Amino acid sequence: MAGSTQSNEESGRIDLTRSATREWIAGTTFAIPYLVTALLFLFGPLAIALYMSVHDWNALAPAQSQFVGLENYRTLVGDPDFWTALRNTVYFVVLTVPPIIVGSLLLALGVNRDVRGKWLLRTIFFSPYVLTVAVVGLLWTEIFNASGLVAYYIGGGNWLTSYDLAMPAIAIATVWWQLAFNFIILLAARQNVSDRLYEAAKLDGASTWRMMRDITIPQMRNPLVFVVIVTFVGSFQVFGQPYIMTDGGPSSSTTTVVLYLYETAFTSRQFGYAAAVGYVLFMILIAISATNYYFLAGDRR
Amino acid sequence: MSTDTRGGLLDGVSLTNTRLRTIALYVGLYGTAALFLIPYWYMFATSFMTRELVYSETPYLIPWEVTTYWYQYLIDNSLIGMWTVNTLILAGITTLFVIVVDAMIAYSLTRLEWPGRRVIFGVIVASFMVPGIINLVPVYIIASELGLVNSVWGVVLPSAANPLGVFMLVQFFKDIPEELEEAARLDGFSRLRVFSHIVLPLMRSPLAALGLFIFIWTWNSFVWPLLIFQRETMYTLPIGLVTLQDNLGVTEPGVIMTSAVIASVPLLLVFLVMQKQLVQAVEMQGTTK
Repeated sequence: MAGSTQSNEESGRIDLTRSATREWIAGTTFAIPYLVTALLFLFGPLAIALYMSVHDWNALAPAQSQFVGLENYRTLVGDPDFWTALRNTVYFVVLTVPPIIVGSLLLALGVNRDVRGKWLLRTIFFSPYVLTVAVVGLLWTEIFNASGLVAYYIGGGNWLTSYDLAMPAIAIATVWWQLAFNFIILLAARQNVSDRLYEAAKLDGASTWRMMRDITIPQMRNPLVFVVIVTFVGSFQVFGQPYIMTDGGPSSSTTTVVLYLYETAFTSRQFGYAAAVGYVLFMILIAISATNYYFLAGDRR
Repeated sequence: MSTDTRGGLLDGVSLTNTRLRTIALYVGLYGTAALFLIPYWYMFATSFMTRELVYSETPYLIPWEVTTYWYQYLIDNSLIGMWTVNTLILAGITTLFVIVVDAMIAYSLTRLEWPGRRVIFGVIVASFMVPGIINLVPVYIIASELGLVNSVWGVVLPSAANPLGVFMLVQFFKDIPEELEEAARLDGFSRLRVFSHIVLPLMRSPLAALGLFIFIWTWNSFVWPLLIFQRETMYTLPIGLVTLQDNLGVTEPGVIMTSAVIASVPLLLVFLVMQKQLVQAVEMQGTTK
């Protein structure tokens, strides 16, 4: 792709030199502010993280950090705390991703129907989107603690100090909070499906279920793939909810990978090791996204 | 996939059946909506309850005795007013900065021809996959090297490095009709004037949607302010809220719920007024892939 641009410019070089050169200058000038920001705070850090992850990083005197090769990664493989965090994260993903996807899809399809109070329903389901994780975490902490609504009406005592119930409590808060984004995307996607397809199907006497399977889902395929990947990636990086609601407890049962990374870096000051944890998480996320993409969208084209 | 829709089994769906389905639909939707509202209700109701109601054995959902005690308490005993101002400033600066910087590069990538721009766009698209969280440690180190700890820019710049806005704007900028730009160029407009007098006004709607999105995102951001703002006078609302409980020493549900109300009401109001733009901003993200 880059080649075609180049040759284009080369052919017109002689008479266009000045205006083409000017366009180059203008083009790069307009691009520079973002590029510098991204270089300093996105791409640079990515490289530094890799560098740090192969060092025994000295937080106070970085110059004295020692190169240790893959030692940090080797430690990580044998680190039971990391595996606990990974297991907790997978558990959280299992508890949140299916309800978020299925829930947002059902609500989007429902609201899209000919119902009264469409605007009200959309507003309610979309509203948690504008809340900060701090509010979500504190609000649900009050709901789930010993004197809160859940303990009184449903039981289970203080869910957040229970080994078995703490993670489900965090998951419920997360589903409530995170459904909104997918709901809006899927609602827009459903509205983009042509009505004519359904009219034709109805003439042929197709059932609602068949229309769902043969028209709605295939037509909404791309947005659905997008939503699945984004939800997986988001859930895998959960941090704020356990940080606020349980601080990883009781006995590490809600310590997720990012919470573990955060503690390793900013409580224990093991920067090199934390960078290695970050890279491993990155690889996991790429693998998950690729797998999702392969299974959901890969067989087409 | 072929849409083979023949062979429907329920040819003559009876009237009662349709009615039952409609009832089920309404019950499902409004039932879920009611469940969604309970946390909000609980938050608002608790913030107006007297101490006796808050600490009673039964968790009350209705404030039988209304008081503004907790609001007064928070104003007198915390820096919540200052945190609100800090949050507003941070979100404002970030929004402006991101809009300008992202619009500039989106213009450059779509409307100007320069060597390497396709490669650069490819790299920006790819960087979409990088989870911000893995950069937690190195960005913190860079920020502290540059003296940005406890500075607004320590949060603004890492937020501005996000490729999402560039990505969203490129979709719109590439659809600007070329003739408009050419006409302006013939009139002797410089690139900068074309950008500021033609492109920006034309792109008002997507820019507003992006701006609203960035504003809300920054208002709510948690991890970066938590790392960068280490003084109580610099906290944003999300950080202040979380530290409130530790500072008080005891859990005060009245204080917690009231602070949650104060932190979320501004955005809920913005949301009610500008829901259309926010929906547009979310949809812009859905169409990017």
